[in-house]
Amino acid sequence: MRREVRGRFKNAYLGYAWTVIEPAMLAVVYYFLFSLLSGNDDILYAVWVLIGVIVWSCFGKTLQATVGSLTRNASMIHLVHFPRAIFPLTSTVSNIILSLLSSLVVLPLLVVFDVSVTWRLVFVPMAIGLAAAQAIGLGMLLAPFNCVQQDVEHMVRFIVRAGFFLSPVMWTWEMAVERGGLYADIILINPMVLPITLARHGFEGTPLDMGPEALVFCFAWTVVMWVIGSMVFASKERGAVKHL
Amino acid sequence: MTDGPALRLSNVGLTFPRRRGIRALFGGRQSTDFVALEGIDLEVKRGEVLGVIGRNGSGKSTMLRVMAGVFSPDVGEAKASGRVSLLASLGTGFAGHLTGRENAMLYGSVLGRSREQMLELMNGIIEFSELHDFIDEPLRTYSSGMRARLGLAVVSALDPDILLIDEVLGVGDPVFKEKSKKKILDMVGGAGTVVLVSHSFGLMTSICDRIVHMKGGHIDFVGEPQEAISAYYRSEGVDPEVSE
Repeated sequence: MRREVRGRFKNAYLGYAWTVIEPAMLAVVYYFLFSLLSGNDDILYAVWVLIGVIVWSCFGKTLQATVGSLTRNASMIHLVHFPRAIFPLTSTVSNIILSLLSSLVVLPLLVVFDVSVTWRLVFVPMAIGLAAAQAIGLGMLLAPFNCVQQDVEHMVRFIVRAGFFLSPVMWTWEMAVERGGLYADIILINPMVLPITLARHGFEGTPLDMGPEALVFCFAWTVVMWVIGSMVFASKERGAVKHL
Repeated sequence: MTDGPALRLSNVGLTFPRRRGIRALFGGRQSTDFVALEGIDLEVKRGEVLGVIGRNGSGKSTMLRVMAGVFSPDVGEAKASGRVSLLASLGTGFAGHLTGRENAMLYGSVLGRSREQMLELMNGIIEFSELHDFIDEPLRTYSSGMRARLGLAVVSALDPDILLIDEVLGVGDPVFKEKSKKKILDMVGGAGTVVLVSHSFGLMTSICDRIVHMKGGHIDFVGEPQEAISAYYRSEGVDPEVSE
């Protein structure tokens, strides 16, 4: 079934270049927007936003792709019987690969901003994997329901848009903690705080200074969503395809 | 391979939920559900060509999909021994933006064939489908007859144990119909099993060993082709001499 993944990529060959070009151009925009116009004193602020966007869009795109994976492949599903979990899985794998390619754009930025390379750079791909892992659990949970009511897809699109602002994409976890207040106290409920912050520390080469409870919560949430999502997908998928 | 029938449906029933909404995936059968198949008992012998006739909406396609494992029956049991391929109406399962060649590769990979195996089969597919240079044009530019030719060429090249054909041959021209007929008889000669849904009674009587007449989700008659066709006309209250 890996062949199907490859087949899907073959047709997006031009897309490969775009996965790097787009974040690179975004980086330039962010640089001007944040460093020059707003007068933010952190010269790396544009990089933080860029990393946030890459990790968040890995989550968002994977979620949207997995939720719509059954409906998009309706004609294939009506033709051959094979394990239908393949569809969300291939969507997830392809999004992970595309996000990893996008994240290559941080490599030249290391040079531009004179950041030293450390082993912690592996945090970046780890964060991308974590973001995708969170998305697939939720996506498999929702995919069968999307066959019945496509409202699910619209709702997910809203979640991805709202989550963009509620997660530390345009801001950082450190900023929220510094400011304090209610949201700083409950911010770790958002399981995407960890992956995004992890990727930023990976770039900077500094250790993650979150408490162990944040790590435990994030991993537990991911695993629980995986289990629930797979169970719901397995039990509802047969009934759901009748609605396609 | 074991002895016994190639396909066995025992007391198969299938309903389609009419109720929309997320709740449609929960709870049991509803009185509003549409009964697509009920009490289907059918055995298809190895090496047999079985025809299926009936009015539109009588459950022919649904029965084929149950045989292919696309839908799992709500009650009863459907068993197929061997690899099943479903060739459904007008290129279902094929992607319009991909070329004929890419579609053939994709279809093969979905059915678990390696890239190398498919490349070996490709010449035969192009020859049988008579698509020539068109094989590298996007599928959306194909006529319905060309799609049917490609579909039959691909599935027959994959050499399934059981081939289910859902009203595909009807759109081909007479020359292609003759070729398909020969191909189907070849397959059956090589211990393949074919189930054929069609409205072309001429073709059906010449190649089918038995014909099933379906009405309202039930099997109305199974037996000799001529008798089944008479049963069809009788049950619809139409005089075949007048209508043809």
